[in-house]
Amino acid sequence: MVTKKIELNIKVNNKDYKLLVSPNKRLLDVLREDLGLNGVKEGCGIGECGACTIVMNGKNICSCMVLAGQAEGAEIITIEGLTGPEGELHPLQEAFMETGAVQCGFCTPGMILSSLVLLRNNPSPTKEEIRAAISGNFCRCTGYQQIIEAVQLAAEKMRKGGVKVNG
Amino acid sequence: MISYEFLTSKKIEEALDYLDKFSKVQILAGGTDLLVNIHKESPRLPHFDYLLDISNIPELKFITLVKNFIEIGPLVTHFRLIEEPLIKGNFPILSTAAQTIGSVQIRNRGTIGGNIVNASPAADLLPPLIALKAEVVLTSKKSERILSLEKFLTGPYKTKLQADELLTKIKIPLLGDGYYTDFQKIGRRKALSIARLNLALVTKIDEKGVFHDTRVVPGSATPYPQSFPVTEESVNGKSIFNIDLEEIGEIVSKEMVSITGERWSTPYKKPAIATLIKRALEKIIKEAKTNEN
Repeated sequence: MVTKKIELNIKVNNKDYKLLVSPNKRLLDVLREDLGLNGVKEGCGIGECGACTIVMNGKNICSCMVLAGQAEGAEIITIEGLTGPEGELHPLQEAFMETGAVQCGFCTPGMILSSLVLLRNNPSPTKEEIRAAISGNFCRCTGYQQIIEAVQLAAEKMRKGGVKVNG
Repeated sequence: MISYEFLTSKKIEEALDYLDKFSKVQILAGGTDLLVNIHKESPRLPHFDYLLDISNIPELKFITLVKNFIEIGPLVTHFRLIEEPLIKGNFPILSTAAQTIGSVQIRNRGTIGGNIVNASPAADLLPPLIALKAEVVLTSKKSERILSLEKFLTGPYKTKLQADELLTKIKIPLLGDGYYTDFQKIGRRKALSIARLNLALVTKIDEKGVFHDTRVVPGSATPYPQSFPVTEESVNGKSIFNIDLEEIGEIVSKEMVSITGERWSTPYKKPAIATLIKRALEKIIKEAKTNEN
């Protein structure tokens, strides 16, 4: 069965796109292949590891579990969207580097995006709340402790600096 | 690679037209089960020619109070079941169960309707929904029918949904005064675990401390979630002051084995299910005693 390509209108990192894609393609593949956003990683491909986490319409979701055709009209943030216009890093990105929360780095984009959604809804999370918020993101370098510290540090930076979270 | 034609609709009517017009249509909602099966090319996946995406139908995303029922649209996500005051206030058991599903990412995407129609033996929402006597509204282009959720399920991953029907509403009758509920789950880990065993308990405790209208629905214990009438009757009429929890534990284990027979997992599940019902009853009894004082 041949699937006709569809026109897909999505907003990614505050930029509007009109794409011609196969509706059966996963959103993950559209972001990586059609838009070149390689910060979105594919891990398990079945919604368990969180490496492909993106923010879609304000919620962190696994982009391997959404078909392109389902994303029509969606607003999406990927890790690439966190950096400012002059290349300045987001407090979460800074904090991840400062606390040594990045080892191999494969889980980092997903970790940061899950943390972004957490901090948007809860600017002063407890350790337990951070753990719960990133429990759908696996780090196989086992660096969870530093990641939790990074989120705490980012929260502090953002509270002090009055930084408005992107997106 | 599985190939199919993608259909999408923004309105119930349009979706029903597709279901009426085409055959071999697979409905896609939150995708947290279906897209895994497509990706893995699971043998459990029936052959389909069309994939009908209903995830962007706003009409299927409501939670409302209508007379003595809470009505829930099938596209309500697990996240909303946790957050919505109407659910938390009336059916905390449903919020608790939704909280145990998958991860934040899965709860943001997975839906109550998907959990019901997928009909996994380990579905976390099915035991509480059956214990709450939920009903499902099935709509086709030509007709509409209402079934109790318990009757809707016919086997593991099997339901009475016809090829031209769409689940359009879940109705849950409000519990009256004096009702208590609890949900227990055992998984291998906290996040992202498929239930090894879960159990929903709904019961009414009168002013004398006597149990009535008890509903016990374990999940992952039987081929598909169903109520345990023998256990329910053994709780009814007992008092919160002297109920023998060990005895109830034995009864629920026996009832499970009477349905499933002895299986490889039985030596584990017998004491585990007994523990779950004891934990649920202990919690409810404590709550009832606190309310009394």
